[in-house]
Amino acid sequence: MITRLIKNRLFSLLFASISVINIALAGGDAAAGKTLFINNCASCHAKDMKSKLTGPALGGVEERWAAYPKSDLYAWVRNSQAMIAKGHPRATELWNAWKPTVMTSFTTLKDEEIDNIIAYVNQQYTGGGAKKEVAKTDAVAGEEGKDNNLVFYGSILAVLAFLMLLMAQLTARLNSIKYAAEGSEQRAKTLKDILTSKSVMTFVIFGLIVLGGYTTVNNAIAFGRQQGYAPEQPIKFSHATHAGQQKIDCQYCHDSARRSKHSSIPGTNTCMNCHAAVKVGSKYGTAEITKIYASIGFDPTTGKYIENYDKLSEEQVSSIYKKWIGDNYVSQKSLAALDKGGELLVNNQWEAIKTSLTNELKTKVQGPVEWTRIHSLPDHVYFNHAQHVSVGKVACQTCHGKVEAMEVMTQHAPLSMGWCINCHRQTDVKFADNDYYNTYKRYHDEIKNGTRESVKVEEVGGLECQKCHY
Amino acid sequence: MEFQKDNIWIGAEHLTNDSTFVEIAKQEFHHTSVEDTLENMGEFNTNRRDFLKYLGFGISAATLAACEIPLRRAVPYVTKPDSVVPGVANYYASSFVEGGDFNAILVKTREGRPIKIESNTIYGIEGSSARAQASVLSLYDTHRFQSCGKISDGKYTAANWETIDNEIKAKLAGGNVRIVTGSMMSPTAKAVVAEFASKFPNTQVISYDAVSYHGMLEANLKCFGDRVIPGYRFDNANVIVSFDADFLGTWVSPTEFNQQYAKGRRIQNHEEAKMSRHVQVESRMSLTGSNADNRILVKPSEQGAAILALYNAVAALTGGTKVEGASVNEAAAKALAKVAEELVANKGKSLVVSASNNVSEQILINEINSRLENYGSTIDFANANLQHSGSDEKIQSLISEMNGGASNPIIIWGCNPVYDLPNGEQFKAGLAKASLSVSFAAKMDETTAACQYVAPANHVLESWGDAEARKGQITLIQPTIAQIFSTRQAELSLLRWADSSNTNWGAEQPYYEYLKKYWEKNVFIPGKYLSFQTFWDNTLHDGVHGAPSAPVARKCVCDVAQAAAGISKPENVEWEISFYESVNIGDGRYADNPWLQELPDPVMRTVWGNYLSLPIEWNGSNDFRSHNDLKDGDIVEITVNGKSEKVIVIRQFGQMPGTASLAIGFGRTVAGAGKGVGTNVYPMMKSMSANYASLTIGAKVGEDKDFASVQYHHTMGITGKQEGYKDKEDKDGNINLDEKALGPGYFAGALTNRSIIFRTHVSELKTKVEELEEKRAEFAKLNKETLYSGHEDVFTAGPHWKMYVDLNSCTGCAACTVACMSENNVPVVGKKEVHRHHEMTWLRIDRYYYGDITNPNTVYQPMMCQHCENAPCENVCPVNATNHSHDGLNQMTYNRCIGTRYCANNCPFKVRRFNWLDYTTADLFPWNENYKNDENMLTADGQPMYADNLVRMVLNPDVTVRSRGVIEKCSFCVQRIQEGKLTAKRENRVIRDSDVKTACQTACPTGAITFGNGNDPESTVSKLIENPMSYRVLEDINVNPSVVYSMKVNNRSEMA
Repeated sequence: MITRLIKNRLFSLLFASISVINIALAGGDAAAGKTLFINNCASCHAKDMKSKLTGPALGGVEERWAAYPKSDLYAWVRNSQAMIAKGHPRATELWNAWKPTVMTSFTTLKDEEIDNIIAYVNQQYTGGGAKKEVAKTDAVAGEEGKDNNLVFYGSILAVLAFLMLLMAQLTARLNSIKYAAEGSEQRAKTLKDILTSKSVMTFVIFGLIVLGGYTTVNNAIAFGRQQGYAPEQPIKFSHATHAGQQKIDCQYCHDSARRSKHSSIPGTNTCMNCHAAVKVGSKYGTAEITKIYASIGFDPTTGKYIENYDKLSEEQVSSIYKKWIGDNYVSQKSLAALDKGGELLVNNQWEAIKTSLTNELKTKVQGPVEWTRIHSLPDHVYFNHAQHVSVGKVACQTCHGKVEAMEVMTQHAPLSMGWCINCHRQTDVKFADNDYYNTYKRYHDEIKNGTRESVKVEEVGGLECQKCHY
Repeated sequence: MEFQKDNIWIGAEHLTNDSTFVEIAKQEFHHTSVEDTLENMGEFNTNRRDFLKYLGFGISAATLAACEIPLRRAVPYVTKPDSVVPGVANYYASSFVEGGDFNAILVKTREGRPIKIESNTIYGIEGSSARAQASVLSLYDTHRFQSCGKISDGKYTAANWETIDNEIKAKLAGGNVRIVTGSMMSPTAKAVVAEFASKFPNTQVISYDAVSYHGMLEANLKCFGDRVIPGYRFDNANVIVSFDADFLGTWVSPTEFNQQYAKGRRIQNHEEAKMSRHVQVESRMSLTGSNADNRILVKPSEQGAAILALYNAVAALTGGTKVEGASVNEAAAKALAKVAEELVANKGKSLVVSASNNVSEQILINEINSRLENYGSTIDFANANLQHSGSDEKIQSLISEMNGGASNPIIIWGCNPVYDLPNGEQFKAGLAKASLSVSFAAKMDETTAACQYVAPANHVLESWGDAEARKGQITLIQPTIAQIFSTRQAELSLLRWADSSNTNWGAEQPYYEYLKKYWEKNVFIPGKYLSFQTFWDNTLHDGVHGAPSAPVARKCVCDVAQAAAGISKPENVEWEISFYESVNIGDGRYADNPWLQELPDPVMRTVWGNYLSLPIEWNGSNDFRSHNDLKDGDIVEITVNGKSEKVIVIRQFGQMPGTASLAIGFGRTVAGAGKGVGTNVYPMMKSMSANYASLTIGAKVGEDKDFASVQYHHTMGITGKQEGYKDKEDKDGNINLDEKALGPGYFAGALTNRSIIFRTHVSELKTKVEELEEKRAEFAKLNKETLYSGHEDVFTAGPHWKMYVDLNSCTGCAACTVACMSENNVPVVGKKEVHRHHEMTWLRIDRYYYGDITNPNTVYQPMMCQHCENAPCENVCPVNATNHSHDGLNQMTYNRCIGTRYCANNCPFKVRRFNWLDYTTADLFPWNENYKNDENMLTADGQPMYADNLVRMVLNPDVTVRSRGVIEKCSFCVQRIQEGKLTAKRENRVIRDSDVKTACQTACPTGAITFGNGNDPESTVSKLIENPMSYRVLEDINVNPSVVYSMKVNNRSEMA
């Protein structure tokens, strides 16, 4: 047994050195690997390669797989479940440690691409070439600029108004001196006289009409817009905790953003990938996470899914989750049995679960979590997430704001047509990186000639009606 | 004698320059009286005060509404299926099976609901039929049964499955069960029936087809020992002769035949042009006949004699002996002799088919083909067609049995005998005597109303199953949506009643397990696949198992003399009427599908009904009359076989003098949206094989006030005869002046001297192509003069979308029109609205006649938005709601449109459509909805069709549903373009032909439509546009369309 172990170690050392040479020979491109890692792996594996996320830390992956031919590692990445089914020892070991979390299959990744990823993993792990990512804060910076302008113009306006008043006062003084000198009876105009004079009144009324009209038109245009909308959701889901603190990639949950027009809200089963293990929340304890379980039918006490959950009566359902909440309370407080406060808590939490998961159309607790929709475009607008995320490589934050800092999800952008158009006017197309744009030969020629610097979205049809309306 | 030798025309009113025609052609939209409009508006009586009230209310309501954000919900999956990505369509291979119709299809689903049918090209047939395209709408029919039930006096009461199962089982026991079906293509369903029969030993299956192929099947049994229809290869035939067989429209397997036919007709090289010749022998202008090079006119009763005449002529040339029998009219006899020569010259490369239901006539056809050595080349029993297998004798003997005192349990499956048998009344009487009558119909129909129980079957898109339409190739049917209602597959009902032991009743989908088990036992051959599961997964993915086998030659054994004695005898009556199956409604089973009802008949161009086509008599100059001076839309009373009916008349070019025709399948009395549309002709037929009869046409009894033939709508390029034009007329009053205007050319300068259709004879193609080139060069010279120079680099960056339409391939089958309606959420509007020229179809197929007035040729021209580079519609829009994109699309923005309709008026092609009423119920206020006009436009519970959530499930979520008051038109399927572009971008590559295919293109069985990037010199469309046969419609007006057509070529020869 021991000899075998030593043999294994020896082999692994041998293989490790060979694979290092391999990498060197194959020239595993860490830069290319980074892109691949971010697109494919980052949603489950931590970027520092040292900490565990949904999946294990990848640092030192080659050493761990060194005992087996490299092809095994490739096969694992492409289809881990097949390896497990075959009973590969390393695969089984991993499965036992991580089940029931299933690693996504990446059947399309080529050997070189996996090598590239490994090169990046090694680079990150050993600390070479690690750079601080600069957060994109264009939008935020823009807004700050706007605030500064407001202060600037506001102060100028105030100074001018003060000067105007001063001048008026001066004129009045001078006039009164003049009247006194002339001996006329006309008294000097008081401030009240000036403010109630015909010309000032006309001016003020005119100003009010213009201002009123302007506001009316602006508000009419903004009918139905809901920037800043932050409704209460059935589950107090915190993006700050998940995306900010835990650094879960946006596209881990909103996985259709890269391939569909919808970014789509994840199904309850996606939550379960982590929450099968994380059963009690840091902030709300059992209050919120139990809602997930009540939606999908997972019994946190036994750690198993409930059979025929859909057919259970409300009492049966409530007994399962009340028990879980109560037990958790008891163990947290190290009590022998549920006390009065505990009973109240159990009942309150259950009632909250019930109200969150039911509404006038959905009477059963079982079934989907019906979220309140925040980002909602009119029916005649066609918007495609894949175009922006996969092709345009636009960061989610550009339109959605700093979601990773939002405790309650808020609509960041106005989602107005002017806002869309503006971005299409300003944004450069990823012209050189995508072969699709080879069709735009004239632009390529112009870039080559030096007559053109970049191609804006509007120049490839970004302002055309049927880009978004058909 | 020929009249307008070089011109094309659309109808008699056009030829005579009738004032009504000129009036209609002048206007973009047909004017209707104010009363008519108000009547159609329903209870619309708003005055100024009301208007102000509503305005005030509207503003305050909007203000209040703006204060609070409406609660919208976003509901994710609980457990998201791996294969579903919200917003991305999935395609599943399946089969469309309805009666004898079959298409291998791909079903496009979005978030679990089917929205579009595409063809499954793995089966070897590209494109599909209009009927298959429309099947997705019938899935969402509000008239479907929502659960099983009992029926008494035609009234349905819902029941639960357990109750009726028990009652039916009790009644089945001990009886001689009779299962009445249409043709059955499913091997597994046959196994189910066999298992059922083992439980109820005296069970008989009686299959019949309303449009019967019995004669042909029996003839093949006699000649070849096989009761099947052989496979045909129209593409291998240089000469095609068809006796009344509408093989491009309805006969046997039209989608397949369209593809083959177009292959043989396509001009590959205009310098050495070759194409097949097609002669049609018929009395009415069928879709196939309209595509033929020559039509030989024979009365319906002369069909047998015509076949015999051809047989004798062929026999004389191939060393056979002449057989005596009835003789055909002289002109036809002469023509047939010539045809025989052509056939014999193309031995082994010719094909003769007939739609006759007379066994003797079909035997003669077999013998002709045998003498021409066509078996093994153009006719092939190895790949026999199994779509039709019904027997007339069996159903008729069942009717005698039912009425003869035997009280047996009757099960009705996939057929409607009370309606579609000539003696349907007798069937109904027999059904009343049955000990048990159960129908599997999904919707209430005439037969189901006469049954005791209904056990509604699933729609084909909700079912598991298989179909063997071609011998040796089995396709699978898989459900693409969860059952919408509490229905059950017919097969499963039979298994349930037989208490099948082979069925896993505990399974979630017992019939799926049954099907799989059947396939494992009977279809799966181990070897190529490791296990049955891999075989099954692959087959389910492909949808098809098996490949076509090599053709084998067969010998025909028959007694010609005996056959000659059995043919139908020509009758000598004043009028003969023929009954035929229409392209859209079939034998009546599609009558409740609004898409198909509103699809114009390809030839008559009529909608919502069947019309009596009468011949047009021409006096040789400028006078076109029909019998009794009847006009289109007149109602006459006709008497056939003692039955009198009022029918609407349409005058039809190419209809033989002394004959009339009327389509079957209409006049349904119990049929959802098809109720009461048209006239039922089945009761007029004497027997299932008698598809003609003598006719008495009575006097005119009225006019159809909603009559519509859409060929007269949206006429383009036509100005008719101007006032003051008279002095230019010929002495004898001919209006044929275009030839003079153009000089002695062969070009049909359309209806004036404008270029709409270019056509030629195949022998003259080379010179005509040169002339076309000259003409186009002249246009180009004119068009080069521009006031707006400096825009030369427009469309030079990025793709430039172009379409190529091959007029020589297009047969007018209309699959594209329905595909377009399905893809683009085009609403149906009902007959009354069509009468007012308000049809909404984005793609119409214009039908023009040319050549011999008494027996013209036809050209079909699919006409959609031409996406002109200098679009005249764009400059007249006051709100810039229509404008051009950088990739060459003429864009229509509904939300900007304020409905001035200037664009439609300025469109030279008349392709823009206006939403006169709220056809889709998209508006806030209901009073402009269309439903009050038309009871056929209502759902089962009396709501407007599109207001129902079930019907709305058919809508394509990627296309906006237009509201009232906006213009719409073909968008080149911009949603598909966007999708294709995104795919290319995501895959980091340039766009390919396969990325973007328009809905009309994928539906087309002949490959007439090609779409792609015209800026890519390697794309198919660019290469086709370079073809010297191509031209643009109205090229002379310098609008520069992006749609390019190719010249129509015929292969007509003088037969008289």
